[in-house]
Order: sequence, then C-alpha cells, then structure tokens
Amino acid sequence: MALVRSLRDQFDWALFFAVSALTILGVINLYSATSQHPTLSGLYISQIYKLAMGAAIAAFAVAIDYRHFERNAWSIYVGGIVLLIIVFMVGTTTRGSVRWIHFGSFTLQPSELVKISLIIALAKYLHNDPKSGGRTLKDLVPPGLILALPMTLIVLQPDLGTALICAAIFGSIMVLTNLKLRSLITLALSFIAAIPFAWEYLMRDYQKERVLALIARWSGDTSNILDTGWHAHQSVIAIGSGGVTGKGFMRGTQSQFGFVPDQHSDFPFAVWSEEFGFLGSVLLLGLYLFIVLWGLRIASQAKDRFGAVMAVGVTAMIFWQAVINLAMVMGLLPVVGMTLPLFSYGGSSMLSTMIGLGLLMNVSMRRFSF
Amino acid sequence: MNLLSHRRELGEFKKRYKWMALFAIACFSVLFLMLVKLQLVEREHWASMARANITKTVTLPPTRGILRDARGRVIASNRPSYEVYITPQLIRPQDIDLFSSLMEFTEAEREAFIARLEAVPAYRRTHQIQMFTDVSRDQVASLETHHDDLPGVDVVARPVRHYPYGSLGAHAIGYLNEVSAEDLERYKDQGFRPGQRIGRSGIEQSLESILRGQPGYRRSVVDARGRRQEDHESVSDIVPEDVRPVPGRDAVLTLDMELMRSIHRAFRGHPSGAAVVVDVHTGKIRALYSKPSYDLNMRSGRLPHDVYQEMLENPFRPLIDKTIYESYFPGSTFKPFSSLAALRDGEIEPSTRFTCKGAYHIGRQRMRCTSAHGEVDARTALIRSCNVYFYRIAEMIGLENIDRVAREFGLGARTGIGINSESAGFLATRKWYEEKFGRFRIGYTLNTAIGQGNTRVTLLQLALSYAAIANGGTLYAPQLIERIEAPDGTAIEEPAPQVARKLDFDPEHIKLIQEAMRGVVNREGGTAYDARIPGGVIVAGKTGTAEVITSREHRERISDEVDERLRRYLTRSHGWFGGFAPADDPEVAIIVLVEHGGAGGRTAAPIATQVLEEYLGSRDLALAQRRN
Repeated sequence: MALVRSLRDQFDWALFFAVSALTILGVINLYSATSQHPTLSGLYISQIYKLAMGAAIAAFAVAIDYRHFERNAWSIYVGGIVLLIIVFMVGTTTRGSVRWIHFGSFTLQPSELVKISLIIALAKYLHNDPKSGGRTLKDLVPPGLILALPMTLIVLQPDLGTALICAAIFGSIMVLTNLKLRSLITLALSFIAAIPFAWEYLMRDYQKERVLALIARWSGDTSNILDTGWHAHQSVIAIGSGGVTGKGFMRGTQSQFGFVPDQHSDFPFAVWSEEFGFLGSVLLLGLYLFIVLWGLRIASQAKDRFGAVMAVGVTAMIFWQAVINLAMVMGLLPVVGMTLPLFSYGGSSMLSTMIGLGLLMNVSMRRFSF
Repeated sequence: MNLLSHRRELGEFKKRYKWMALFAIACFSVLFLMLVKLQLVEREHWASMARANITKTVTLPPTRGILRDARGRVIASNRPSYEVYITPQLIRPQDIDLFSSLMEFTEAEREAFIARLEAVPAYRRTHQIQMFTDVSRDQVASLETHHDDLPGVDVVARPVRHYPYGSLGAHAIGYLNEVSAEDLERYKDQGFRPGQRIGRSGIEQSLESILRGQPGYRRSVVDARGRRQEDHESVSDIVPEDVRPVPGRDAVLTLDMELMRSIHRAFRGHPSGAAVVVDVHTGKIRALYSKPSYDLNMRSGRLPHDVYQEMLENPFRPLIDKTIYESYFPGSTFKPFSSLAALRDGEIEPSTRFTCKGAYHIGRQRMRCTSAHGEVDARTALIRSCNVYFYRIAEMIGLENIDRVAREFGLGARTGIGINSESAGFLATRKWYEEKFGRFRIGYTLNTAIGQGNTRVTLLQLALSYAAIANGGTLYAPQLIERIEAPDGTAIEEPAPQVARKLDFDPEHIKLIQEAMRGVVNREGGTAYDARIPGGVIVAGKTGTAEVITSREHRERISDEVDERLRRYLTRSHGWFGGFAPADDPEVAIIVLVEHGGAGGRTAAPIATQVLEEYLGSRDLALAQRRN
C-alpha cells in the first residue's frame, strides 16, 4: 500500500497529462490527415500501437532508478555508436540517404535513439567532471568529442536534421555549465564563421534551394511557389485559412485534398491548425511550452548532476524539435526533415521521445528518494 | 559520494534555468505572434488562396454557328478534332512502349515523344499537357481501348472548323485562327481566352459576334493533383456550377457555291483573276471569286511557315482578295458611264455620229483606236468599243461630268460590304492631276473616258454599277447575309435589300446602253461576239482590255523579274468582261477579270457567258422540268 501511495504521490501527473493530451490529439489529427488517403488510411491504428509500445518502454525507463543508467552510461553510448555503424552495413537507402534498419516489418532509425544515448553520455561526463564553474573552451573539448563521434556518423548518412538536433542538445547542455563569457563569445563567433563553410561543403543543393526559397518568401518573391517553395507555401495557406476556430475536423481543404505536403510526418501541425484554427494552435503551443518549462523545473529540482543534465537534455531535444518544426511549418524556417515530437507519425521518433520522457519522469520521481 | 556533495556540485547549474525558461518563452512567443499574423490578421488572404487551390473553372466553348449558302449547302461547319493529353506524372516506363505502339510511332517519333516528356518542368508534371492534335480515328479507337492501362493518357474531342469547299470562295468566307494578345485586350469583356479561335478574315470575321455564341463554364472542386472531387460537400462549401454554353447562330449567305464552282471551272487555264456575280434586283451577292486561292482548312489550322512564305511570294498573289481588296483600271468596261454622262449632258444625241479613222489627234499627240471604225454612233461605239468616239465626247463634256456619273454609280467609294478591308477604288479629279503632274492636260480626260486614266475600281463596285444599268437605274448596297438563324433553324434576322441610290438618268438612255451591251455579245462585230453561246441564255455586256504598264516604277518592277515567261505574262493587259443576263429580263450582273489575260473579249467574255449559261440555263431547264 505504501508503495502504491508513494507512486501516486511521487508520480508526475502534470507531465503525464500534458504528454497524454499531445499524443491523443496527435492520433486524432493523424486520423484526419490520412483517413482519406488511399494508402495511408490505416496509419492512425499503427500509431496507436507505436504509442502503446513507446509507453511500455517509457514505463521501463521510469521504473529503473536512473542511477543505473548513470552506471552504464558508457555502454549505452557505445551501443548507440554501434547501431550507427550497423546502419551503414545493413541499412536501406531511401531518397539518397541511409537511415533505417529493418527488422522484419519493424523499421528502426538509430539516429533517433542516439539522441538519448548522447544525452546520457554527456550527463555522465558532467556528473563525473570535478570542475564546478569557470569553464573555458578547453573544458568543452572532451564533451565536444563525445558529440562529434555520433554526429559525424549521422552527417555521413546524411541526416542533417538529426545532426542539427544533436548539436542543439549539446549546446543547451553546455549552456547549463558555467562557461566563461569570453569563451561563449568565441564559440558564437566561430559558429557564425562556420556558416559559409557549411553552405559550401556540407549542404546539398536541395537544402540550399529550400533556404533560398525561404529567403524568397520573406522578400515577397512568389516566383518559386510552384517548385522549391511549394511545400512551405501550401502549409502557410493551410494555417492562415484556418482562422480563429478552424474549418472543423476533417474539413480542411488544404489537408483533405492533398495540398499540405507530408501531412502525417513533417507537417501535421498545418493540418491541425487548418482544422482547429488559432484556438487549437495556441492550445498545442501551450502544451509544448508547458512540457519544456516543466522539464526545466524537473531539472532544477534534480538531486544530482546526472539527473539535471539528463532532464535538460531531454527537454532541449523536445524543445528544439518542436520549435524548428513549428517554425518551418509556419514558413519561418527552411523546410528540413524534422518531425513534431509526440504529434508526428513515426515509430523511431516516438520511441526516442517516449524514452526521453520516461527518463524525465524518472528524474522527477527520484527527486524525493535520495 | 554522499548526498551533500551532490547538492554542492549542482550549484553551478542553478543560475541558468531561469534564462533557459525565458529563452523558451521567447521562442514560443515568436511562434504565437506568427499564428496571430497568419490566422487572425491575414486570414482572408490565405482563405482565398485556399479556395483558389480547390476551385477549378473550365470554360466550355460554344459551338460556332454554321455557314450555309443561299441554297442551304454547308460552307463552314464544325467537326471534332481528337487531341491527346498526357499527364507526365502518371506515365510509367512501360506505358511509353504501349502508347508508342498504339500511336504507331516510328522510332524517331518515339524518341521525340520521350524527349518532350522529359522536357516538362517538374511543377507541370501533374498537369495534363496537350501533346498531339488531330489524331486519326484509328488511333483514338486504340487509345480508348487501352484507356485503363494508360492512366496518364487522355483523349479529348475539340470542335474545329471545317470547310467542305476547301479553297473555293476562301477570301470571302474567311478563316479562323488563335486570338492574339491584342485581341484579348480588345475583346476583354467578351469572354475570350487564350487558345480560342476568332474569325480572322471574310465573313468569319465580320459575323464573329453572331457566329461565336457564348461560352459556358463548369466550376468544380479539385484536389492537389487536379482530380475532380465529387463528394466534397463534407469538406468545402464551394458550389459547383455548370453553365452550358450558348451555341452561336447560323448564317445563310447570299452566295451560291455551285455558281462559284462553275466560275472556278470556267477559269481553268487562267492562273489569276476574279469574278463577282450579283442579283440585279436586290444587290445580293451570288459569287465572290478570287483566284488563286488557299485551302481554308489548312489556313484555319496550323499553317506551316514555308507554305505561308510560298503564298507570300507567289506572283499570282493568292493572299489578295481580288474582288474587294484590290482595285484595277476598268479599261473599256468604264465606257458605258462615259456614254451616259455625255447623253445626260445633252452634248450628244443617241444618233450623233463621229468618224473614226483609227486615231485621234489632240494637239501634237496622236491617240490610237483599236481599228478604223468609220461612222460610229452611241450604240456602235459601245458595241465595237471605239476609243475615238469616247475621246470626242470626253473633250466635249470634260472630266468632272465623267467623274460625277462614275461617282453616282458607286465608283470611288466603298460599297460597305463589310469584309476584307474593302478598297474604295479611285476617281482622279482635275485637282489631283494638277497636284500630281503639275498641270492638267486634256489627255487625262480622254484616257479617263476609256477607263485608262487613273480611275481604279473594284470588281464589286463594277458589278453593282452594272446591276444598276441592268435594272434600269437602282444602285443597291451589296448584301451577303440572306438570313441569320437560331440553331433550331428559326430565322432571327432577314436583312432586306438596301437601295444605295436611285440614279437619275433618262430611261431611254439606259435602255440604249442595255441594247448596246446586248449587241456587244450578240451582234456581229461586237467585241464579245465570239463568246456568245448560240441558243443559250442571251447575255449583254461590255468587254475591256486594261493596259497594266502605266508607270515607270511598274515597268521596272516587272523587268526585275528573272523568269522570261513570267515577265512577258506580267506585261500583258488585264481582260475584262462586265455584263448581265438574261438580256431581256436581267436577273444577275457579272464581272469577270482575267489578270494579264489580254483582250477581254477573248478571255473574260467566254468565262462570263459559260458561267451565266450554266447558272441561268440549267435553272431554266430545272424550272421547265418542274412545270412538266
């Protein structure tokens, strides 16, 4: 009885309800986005299965005291790297990049899971780091290497979106540490200096086209809306035409008649926003902001560095993915392959998000235990 | 590690959470403001774009009215042309093989087709693209049979104009071609769209607003791939509309295509010329014939550039409408007007005689006649076409009198037929001669009297004026439209014949001219005596042989011509015949011009008598048969 009571008292209901609400709305939206589609119409059922599986694994991640993860952090990290190497050996090539491993009918995207193993590894490193404040650029080298190894492998796939998220997670965690102002400025300047290099050597033509399409959008040039700017344009039409209350469930013309691109994977927010309008969109935005702020609260209450860094890492992962995806769907950022966590269809991203949230819940619950 | 150490180490992180939270709030605020902008401020703009996305309005072209001749024969109608539309997105590699074999492509055609497919830009690949026009019925049948195997191939029937008579009467009937940017601007409010066709010349052009009808449209709801959505009510409130097009009205023309065909037969052997036939009691035009011509079906389609270039350079000028657009020196066909001018003036009596010794002297100049005609009066002067007689009367009455009569007969002014940029012809006045040549000479008057001055007439003008002589002095306005009909055949409009002018001549004088013209064909010594058809319809008329070398420029232009035979041809005179029949009770007037045909009596007159015999003779026969 005591155990049940303590579980009830310690369980983070706020986080649970916010996440549940988002996933349920995500399934409802997926139903609207795909049920008229000839081949995707059963997708929402599949999403429910994936959710259930994700919830089970999350429960597992909650149940185990996170200090076990701390103890096995390096093994987990190495496991992630091994998965990334396996992709190159047995992975399948889709649209020019190697991202997926097939187990029968199940498809796994290791780069998604590597985000979690990276967070755990960085948490482990900072947990054991004797320093406490006054960090300089030199102190960034070891964690930087921890990032560099998986990130290089991900860039080689290539999966620029995930690589970017890994870098963002790393950056967010490092901001947590007390880096000297001078080091921070140097870092920011070198990042800006790296942009032309990245443009020239890292980015593919189609990626550059999307960036140029965005710039064209902002300068009012509509000549490209038929090709490179088509996706962003149709998505913005969907959102804007939703108005205050939206066109109603299953009644969005942009969504139902196939104008919104990749509506189940990258652009589900456009579907939601068209059908539920400004009010529905603000609700969704609010839920994401709540999870992010709540995650930071959990981090601040963590009892050790490992828990705090892990909580910040998971929160950063959800925050950056959500913000980049929403900004892209609203036409504020170029179109990159980035799913909306908890809302988009997709097994691997659902899995990594659920594990991450499990870990967050774990940290939240263990704040009382030691 | 003990609990305390954990707490101490966390101190480093504590300051940062607040800033992170503020950063997250700031980012979400930007997203929030963007939602405010898109969904609250700009909603109308995006909503209209969303509507435009799913609304597809297809214009339904009306059926163009049919043209018939006076006897109900179809001159211009519509037939379906089958066009093949390809949606590149839906073409699979194996489809190309099947499609090529159904279309019976050669290897080269197949390659060309693949090249065209690949050239389609990405954003158009989901659209239907017109790739082949006017495919054969066999090809259509094969494609339709395999319709389910070729989802990216659609065959659409579109009406195209069809002219059963091909090149016969092409100038008068006219053709269609695609509307130009200027047309779209000019007829903005009439619902023209790019790609539509518009009457470009002749009757097709002048009756455009009657023949065209009104386009309808179909508004439907489509998805992103342009596919029509039938059960869209649950999704959109756009109301599909189906407005049927209103077909154009049909027109019955005054032309008689069998008469035209008969003229065409009679012109065999002459490369270039024209003829006009009008009803003398109404001004209704029975024939407008200009040779050489061009096939209207080809001209209305996609005329190959080299064919057009060839027509432009053709010395016989197939593009020129020689009945209305071009004007000519009338030669001796002008003489009846000179006679009427002199008779009305009272300077001569019908019986007044002059002696022709083969030439006429004025000052130091000697003006030749066709031969020495001896004693000639008004009648014989016309019958034998004696120039000396007309020199004499011209000297007596002066240029102004001749011009006045010509003007009363409608020369020098547009008849108002309303097609093909009608020429007004030209009547040279004393003032014009003074300005052009510095001073006026009496010779100009003499030449004008025999149709060799600077007077220029169109065949249509001459035909109407000869009709006025034939009917005793009523000049009619030309009439091309017999009736405008609704598609069900009921008459909407039947224009009545219009009198342009009642001419003020002594009926006796007109009668004299009529009789003299009868003599031209039927009296021995008449200039067209050899062209008469014994026992046939009695034709009255006047021949003319108009010299064409009248200016130095003209002579130089001709001498540039390399081909010797062509050069000789181009220096030969035009042969004229103007007349009416039957001589006792005239029904139609006819003008025939054989360009560079030489003497009118030998070339133009036989054409006229043959045509009139076929037209009136056969009709008399048919009437006689009906009576029995």
